[in-house]
Amino acid sequence: MRCLRRRSITVFLFSVVFLTAVVMLIIRDTESSYAVEDILKLGKKVYEQRCLICHGKDGDGKGLVGVLRRTELSGRTIETLPRDFTIGVFRFRSTPTGCLPTDEDLLKIIDHGIKRSFMPSHKKELTLEEKKAVISYIKTFSERWEEEEPCDPIPVKKPPWVGSPSSIEKGKRVYKDMKCWECHGYEGRGDGPKAEKLKDDWGKRIWPFDFTTGELKRGTSPENIYITFTTGLDGTGMPSYEDSLSEEDRWHLVSYTLKLMGMVGKKKE
Amino acid sequence: MYSRFYLSVLLISGLVLITFLVFATYRELNPEWKKYQLEYRDLLIKNAPNEAARKKARSIKIEHQQIYIKPLKKVDRCMNCHRGVDDPLMKDAKVPHKLHSGDYLKKHPVSKFGCTLCHYGQGRATNKKDAHGKGRDTHWDYPLIPFKYIQSSCAKCHDYLFLKDNGGEMVVEGERLFREKGCRGCHKLNGVGGDLGKPLDIIGSQPIAYFPMKYVVGERNTYNWLKQHFLDPRKIVPGSEMRVFLSEKEADLLTTYTLTLRAEEMPRQFRAIRYTTPVPKDGESLYKMYCVACHGNGKISAYDEILKRTIPAIMNPAFLKIADDKNLERIIKEGRKGTPMTSWKRTAAGLRDEEIRNIIKFITKDRPDERPEPFDYKRFVTDTKHGKELFNVRCALCHGKDGKGGKDHLGLNLRNPAVQKFVDPEFLAMTIRDGRKGTPMPAFGKTGVGLSDQDIADLVAYIRSFSDKGKK
Amino acid sequence: MGEVNQSGIAKFLNNIRSLKKSFLGSFLRSGKPTSDKSRAAVMFNNFFLHIQGVKTHINTLRPTYTFGFGLISLYLLIIVVISGVLLMVYYNPSVTEAYNKIKDLKYVVFGGNLLRNIHKWSGEGMIIFVLLHMARVFYTGSYKKGREFNWVIGIVLLILMFGMNLSGYMLPWDQLAYWALLIVANIINSPKEITDSLGITQYFDIGGFFKELFLGGTNPTQESLTRVYLLHIWLLPMFLFLFLGIHFWRIRKDGGLTRPDTFERKDSDVYYVNPPEKTGGIFPTYKTYGLMELARGRTPAVDKDVENTVLSWPNLLIAELAIFVLTLAGVIAYAYFVDAPFKEPANPLIPENPAKAPWYFLGLQELLSYSAFMGGVGLPGLALLGLALIPYLDREEDRVGIWFTNRQGVTVALQSFIIGTIVVIGILAFVVNFGWFRNWWPNVPQILITLINPGNIWVGFMIVYSLFVIKKTGSTRMGAIALFTMFLVSYVIFTAMGTYFRGPNWDFFWSKSQWPIH
Repeated sequence: MRCLRRRSITVFLFSVVFLTAVVMLIIRDTESSYAVEDILKLGKKVYEQRCLICHGKDGDGKGLVGVLRRTELSGRTIETLPRDFTIGVFRFRSTPTGCLPTDEDLLKIIDHGIKRSFMPSHKKELTLEEKKAVISYIKTFSERWEEEEPCDPIPVKKPPWVGSPSSIEKGKRVYKDMKCWECHGYEGRGDGPKAEKLKDDWGKRIWPFDFTTGELKRGTSPENIYITFTTGLDGTGMPSYEDSLSEEDRWHLVSYTLKLMGMVGKKKE
Repeated sequence: MYSRFYLSVLLISGLVLITFLVFATYRELNPEWKKYQLEYRDLLIKNAPNEAARKKARSIKIEHQQIYIKPLKKVDRCMNCHRGVDDPLMKDAKVPHKLHSGDYLKKHPVSKFGCTLCHYGQGRATNKKDAHGKGRDTHWDYPLIPFKYIQSSCAKCHDYLFLKDNGGEMVVEGERLFREKGCRGCHKLNGVGGDLGKPLDIIGSQPIAYFPMKYVVGERNTYNWLKQHFLDPRKIVPGSEMRVFLSEKEADLLTTYTLTLRAEEMPRQFRAIRYTTPVPKDGESLYKMYCVACHGNGKISAYDEILKRTIPAIMNPAFLKIADDKNLERIIKEGRKGTPMTSWKRTAAGLRDEEIRNIIKFITKDRPDERPEPFDYKRFVTDTKHGKELFNVRCALCHGKDGKGGKDHLGLNLRNPAVQKFVDPEFLAMTIRDGRKGTPMPAFGKTGVGLSDQDIADLVAYIRSFSDKGKK
Repeated sequence: MGEVNQSGIAKFLNNIRSLKKSFLGSFLRSGKPTSDKSRAAVMFNNFFLHIQGVKTHINTLRPTYTFGFGLISLYLLIIVVISGVLLMVYYNPSVTEAYNKIKDLKYVVFGGNLLRNIHKWSGEGMIIFVLLHMARVFYTGSYKKGREFNWVIGIVLLILMFGMNLSGYMLPWDQLAYWALLIVANIINSPKEITDSLGITQYFDIGGFFKELFLGGTNPTQESLTRVYLLHIWLLPMFLFLFLGIHFWRIRKDGGLTRPDTFERKDSDVYYVNPPEKTGGIFPTYKTYGLMELARGRTPAVDKDVENTVLSWPNLLIAELAIFVLTLAGVIAYAYFVDAPFKEPANPLIPENPAKAPWYFLGLQELLSYSAFMGGVGLPGLALLGLALIPYLDREEDRVGIWFTNRQGVTVALQSFIIGTIVVIGILAFVVNFGWFRNWWPNVPQILITLINPGNIWVGFMIVYSLFVIKKTGSTRMGAIALFTMFLVSYVIFTAMGTYFRGPNWDFFWSKSQWPIH
């Protein structure tokens, strides 16, 4: 009789331990998948509070705010919609044309906003964790993020002669030969012959930049202008010139662009 | 003593003296115009139709020509070089002998009107450079007027009804542009208008030193300044907030009109004004005269990079639906201090109550018929702290963290006294609840973001607390 | 004595025949100046010529002694007066008409432009030559030996001459004139700086009183133009001619121009137009009209230096004529090429920036920018007082009539010139780069600036340095040379500063091309 009691207690103890271990394993698995879900939940919360009103519930840019209008110094009124995330095409990248932007690119935009557009800076309002979470959430709007990886960013190194008179001259020739004036106009006022018919990837009218109206959206440092020529502005009519122009020519074009904007080449009074 | 020295000094200086006296006499006897009058006489002799005319031509005296217009105390000496200006025989001659174009001299004989009355320039001078007044070294503020602006002189004596069909189309068109481009929204004329820009009463006759000429291209005179300022105000006056987008032709027409705004008034015997253009009193004309430069057609709300703020769409139907006429009148009268919206009441910008009401009638003409769903603000107990939390998350993105809007912000300034004082809380609540269709202001109520009425009331309370100074 | 028996008609015909002789003889009493006696008599008897002595010392005629500066100043005055009178035919002192009248002169009147230029350049040339004349008189020590008072008269003439130039500058009523008038009125108002600091302006507004007296109101108006015109054509010229008369009278009474005691005539300089007659003496044995000799005293020097004098007719007059023609030729040549400035009509709403006084006052305007009272009234008053006192503070009489007195004088002058230049430029450089009290301590009381400012510091340095020179050389003359040289140097440098290096808002610019156009 005593032997049977001892064995049943042991079996009971073993099964308790065994069941506990199994349960713990199961729970651990759930927790790791919960970790990813938590990030997306946080991202969704941030998105709904701050981004949804412009970028829309489905991330298609059709938020309640609707069309944004801005009248420039020249009197031109430009209409834009907030960015549509659903096709995974982004303007301001450090990766070559056709590629997805890196996480750093997206973080930079959330931190600094975009000048002369209505994308504000969220640097102080969100923690780094929240920003990363919302980036992860935004990626869920487009399938491209699952299928592709972002490419490597393009290195940028500014030569010292950018902005010199000879570089400006060369840039002027490039501007003419590459037919930049077709959209941007002969004086860079965005009034070229093709300017009226330009459309973006969503079929809406888009206006070529008027260099006399002020800052560029990305920022007006020579490096930023160079990056625009190199990566193109995907989704707009601005192509990438990485393959059609040498690096040196692209820097000459940067000099000429700075001159069109009135930032170099002025005689001292 | 030392006489040898002094005698040589005497000899040399005597020679120098005589030389210069001779030169000076020669110069005085041969002024610049003598050459032209001799040419003129030769032309007359050559082209004389008969012997009698030839004899008369030969006896013309080459002497100083002058026209004195007594009522204006003006002296014109242009005919010293332009002696053939009223001689029909000079129809095909070269300038300066050429006959005056058109038949203007029939009704405006040179002896009664002179030349500078219409063409400006320095009448008292007798050489080309000083008479035409071109170049800063002539120190003459009113050089010869470019031909494209000459019609501005017609308006000194004639009324616009007459000029419309009698050779004054450009100045009449310029006046119409002035009325319809909203210039008086910022510039006073005859005491009525905004005060963001300088008053325009005598702008056409201001001396050159009045204008900042640093960035003017070409000759530095009033004509170039006005035209180039119309084409690109910020190039001529850096930091200018002038909103005007004109083609080159429109800029010329407006320059022609602006040049008619002068200090001198013509004496009665010169004026031929038979009709004074009535000042328009209907709402649409008033709107075009005072409001259109900033508000445009009033339907779109856009961020403006010149004024560095969003300009409200005042004819937006959703706005008109909930806007109260009485409050509109107060806002227009008091203006929005700190913004380009002037105070338009009679003691400030000079608009009479009746005119303001006409403008409001025009603005509200497309007010939708249906009345908005009311918002009973008073039944809510509001929590400003909760309102502040909501504001920072929902509203700060467009209106700024302090609610001030302004530069690079899509939203308007919520701290502005117009919003704080002249607008009912119901208006604010309905705006937040229903949004403003046609502008970027979304609906935050049930139809949009989904905030509850209590949330909205809290928000309104927080917004209205901006004007509480130091209250608990 | 005609023949008693001649008929009346014959007498009459005789009179007609000798008409020319008798007419000429009635005012040219001395006959043709063909002999020394008649040359002397011509000088003595003629109304205009007798202001000058019958005989002139050779040293006076030496070109390198006076360079003719005094004569040139006088001739410029004569030219300016004659051209001024001619201009008065057309000018009208009305704020609406003055400008137009001058335009008419420029374009229509025969020789009008040349006339106006002559008037302007001879007037302003007078400033230069009067200052040169003053320098010559100073450096030759010609303010001593009885000539002290004439020096003071000269200072009075200097002030009157500046007044003439200034009042004339305001007559065209163009932008230059109007704003210069306002500046001068504000200079006159500068005692207000002192009365404000003392808090007594409400009781004793001496600045405001004279300003309103000058302007005929509180702003430049028609009243001001009328008063300025009155000053320019009557009041100042009257005093000018009065004092000029006294000035020349004193020259004669003091024995003509100074000359060194050790003067020795060099035969190489001798060239007679008319060699002197070999007579026993100048004066004939018979009585001459009114000639007197003084037995004692230094004036006039009749008997001394006879061997070093020559007859004034023709030697002095040749020299004077030559200088006159030279001056006239110079003025007309300059007026032929250079036009007197004339800008836009006066416009009270559009100030000139910078509003500058005429060039000869720009040194003063520079001092004004440091302190209104000191620059406008204090320092100029002090300078004029100092100049006037020179003959009374330096009474050493040796080596009068010699430029710089002696080798030590040359050294002192040179040293003062160099040191003065360096110190003035140093002060200016300091002020331009570092500013003054108000730039460092914005709330500093005005009285402190009035008492301690670059102008005062410069004047203080001048005085201290001169005293130092007096002590070191033991001679008041050397001290006077040091002081006067520094005064000249500072006048020139301050004027150059105000003319070339001051632009809008009285800011410093290296050249006019750097001025910001508004």
